[in-house]
Amino acid sequence: MNKFIRIAAAGMMSLTFGAVAQADVTVKVAYDADPVSLDPHEQLSGGTLQFSHMSFDPLVRWTQDLQFEPRLAESWEQIDATTTRFHLRSGVKFHSGNVMTATDVDWTFDRLKESPDFKGIFSLFTDVKVIDDHTFDLITSEPYPLVLHTVTYIFPMDSKFYSGTTDDGKDRSELVKHGDSFASRNVSGTGPFVVSEREQGVKMVFDRFDGYWDTETAGNVDQIILTPIKESPTRVAALLSGDVDFIAPVPPTDLARVDENDSTDLITMPGTRIITFQMNQERVEALKDVRVRQAIDYAVNNAGIVDRIMRGFGTVGAQASPAGYLGHNPELAPRFDVEKAKALMAEAGYADGFEITMMAPNNRYVNDDKIAQAVASMLAKINIKVDLQTMPKAQYWPAFDERAADMMMIGWHSDTEDSANFHQFLSHCADAETGNGQYNSGNFCNAEADMLMAKANAETDSGKRAEMLQQMETILYNEAAFIPLHWQNLAWGARKGVHADKIVNALNFPYFGDLVVD
Amino acid sequence: MSSLSTPTEPSRWSRVWNSNIGYSFRRNPVAIVSLMIFLLIAIMSIFAPLIAPFDPYDLGQIDIMNSEYPPLWVDGSDAQFILGTDDQGRDLWSTILYGTRLSLLIGICAVVLQAFLGISIGLIAGYVGGRTDSLLMRLADIQLSFSTLMVAIIFLAVTQAMFGSETFNQYAIYFLIAVIGVAEWPQYARTVRATVLAEKKKEYVDSARVLGFGPGRIMVRHILPNSLSPIFVISTVQVANAIISEASLSFLGLGMPPSQPSLGSLISSGFDYIFSGSWWITAIPGIVLVVLVLVINLLGDWLRDALNPKLYKG
Repeated sequence: MNKFIRIAAAGMMSLTFGAVAQADVTVKVAYDADPVSLDPHEQLSGGTLQFSHMSFDPLVRWTQDLQFEPRLAESWEQIDATTTRFHLRSGVKFHSGNVMTATDVDWTFDRLKESPDFKGIFSLFTDVKVIDDHTFDLITSEPYPLVLHTVTYIFPMDSKFYSGTTDDGKDRSELVKHGDSFASRNVSGTGPFVVSEREQGVKMVFDRFDGYWDTETAGNVDQIILTPIKESPTRVAALLSGDVDFIAPVPPTDLARVDENDSTDLITMPGTRIITFQMNQERVEALKDVRVRQAIDYAVNNAGIVDRIMRGFGTVGAQASPAGYLGHNPELAPRFDVEKAKALMAEAGYADGFEITMMAPNNRYVNDDKIAQAVASMLAKINIKVDLQTMPKAQYWPAFDERAADMMMIGWHSDTEDSANFHQFLSHCADAETGNGQYNSGNFCNAEADMLMAKANAETDSGKRAEMLQQMETILYNEAAFIPLHWQNLAWGARKGVHADKIVNALNFPYFGDLVVD
Repeated sequence: MSSLSTPTEPSRWSRVWNSNIGYSFRRNPVAIVSLMIFLLIAIMSIFAPLIAPFDPYDLGQIDIMNSEYPPLWVDGSDAQFILGTDDQGRDLWSTILYGTRLSLLIGICAVVLQAFLGISIGLIAGYVGGRTDSLLMRLADIQLSFSTLMVAIIFLAVTQAMFGSETFNQYAIYFLIAVIGVAEWPQYARTVRATVLAEKKKEYVDSARVLGFGPGRIMVRHILPNSLSPIFVISTVQVANAIISEASLSFLGLGMPPSQPSLGSLISSGFDYIFSGSWWITAIPGIVLVVLVLVINLLGDWLRDALNPKLYKG
């Protein structure tokens, strides 16, 4: 009898657990790295924005076919040349329970203008004027063609939650780069997922936000467990064995395996993220010479890197703007000619070469460490001896901000889907005031290119704009402002039944709130 | 005529050849084959710069367009590269030759360091005895309670952070020798101490002392030569261990830098490709490492049997 009760109890238990498991849809996600901070304004990077799309909502977001989709802003209209009026959705709540109003947008905008990383994007935006709880005006200093593009970067933060002081007397709204602040550990947004557990570098657990405003979405995921798996083969093996449901990125060497496996789907898209090396002119005298920079560009076989290391899973680049962008100049061809490179080095008086240091991340871009190794051996052919160091991105970005090496790798995806953004962050004369050149570790500076960018940003006629931006790309190409390598294609792997193909996009911000799992 | 009656002095080689060890060696095919393979690997790696068609450490000779060619017997290979190429376009055959040289060099130097430390400490502990002995042997116990790999990982990680990876990569080989050498000295110290304890009771030691020799001379010139056989046996095993430790550390990214691959770092760099078709980058250096360690261990086994009086079969 006793035994029977035990068996019955065990049966009941497993039934209830089974029922719970069915009601709860958990998706296990494996990325190459987890977000470095919970503060959406600390770092302008893919990881931060992917996280922002999970726990926050933008005013407007991009759809898969690169159209604008209203999110927290329901509608908008242009009032005059420099003012756009936005109408906010009503009844939107933050994770803390506070109701979102135009004041939160204003507060977030002010914080963005303070952020060393983000203020560059918002440099032409002067103010948010609150009209009423659900209406505000966004004002630019001059007519700006990319207002909506930029608004995709406004993720309203909970101004009440982030105001005041913490227990140890620190300001809750404080924005600290690579430091410990309230916002880097606590989060309250309007997004579909609440961060319920976080152990950096180990695991992050997101639970669906009960009071999420978007009840029309088909998304049915209740919990997301994000685990960083740095090693690409391990990440792929985890997907193939069924340990995780969704992985990104899929390394080029394993695309076929994920595609051919019966229980997994491979999703690929041509990317717009350019991978580059920057040459620090302030650290190395030789790099001030345009001939040396061109020689390095001629020595680097970027077609070989795409063919061999990327297995053709990328597009060889000669400029920052990918095809389809206004600034893309089809006449600029990739440079590769070792003899020419040697001749240029000799002409510049460096026939015997010199030594430089190089740094690259090893879990940020696809095959980043292997690309860096290959570039190091290519430079050896023109007698430039490279001391290469690769490291995880959590250590790499602080080193990048210190400009710690003579050559540093950076990949950039245009925040506004526009050519000017590449130049503004990667090759504009560095200016801490405006945030221009925030990621220009080469300290390249060309007044003419900067002027063209400023003019283009005030130009609403797209034909004239394209002309200016293409001219700007040509200057950067002739000056060899940086070494363009390739535009990296995007690849995600998902278990069959996880309809990830609907939520991914060329920006690489998966919208997990809309994810449907069978 | 007396000069005719004195037998000719046998040459050193024939003395070795006719000794017990020589006899046991001739009768043991496993030992013969092991020694031949070991000598083959050792000679080839010592003469690597002459044999290897490429210099894998010269980045200027590497071309990314040559990456991931398979070995000759697989379709799609390039005749230049007998064993294929790795992910950066290095010739695998040359890299293995140079890598084995590094592995052997690190293994042997680390064992020399271990032996120096271990034998000195063991001799002193065994001969002096008393408090010195207790102190040294407790130190050995403490050292033994940490696994070699753990000590090495901590030490190398700290030095890498302290000197920065530029300096570290430059001196990686010395750091590896130092850490593997220092971490394993108690193996020697304990064995040497045990034999010293047995030997120092013997009459020849007493007579040496009566003749007025100092302790240093007695230890080094009298006791040590009589304790050599166990030292030989440990040395072979320890060389194999040191090679494995070096390979593990390099595999974990704490050993030789990617620009100067040893066997371990070569295995590690091919690991990304093992499932995607390019198995040779990991498999071939892996086989070389296994064979090398195996023949050293087999030689050690044979030497132990040959030198063990209990197993002495005449």
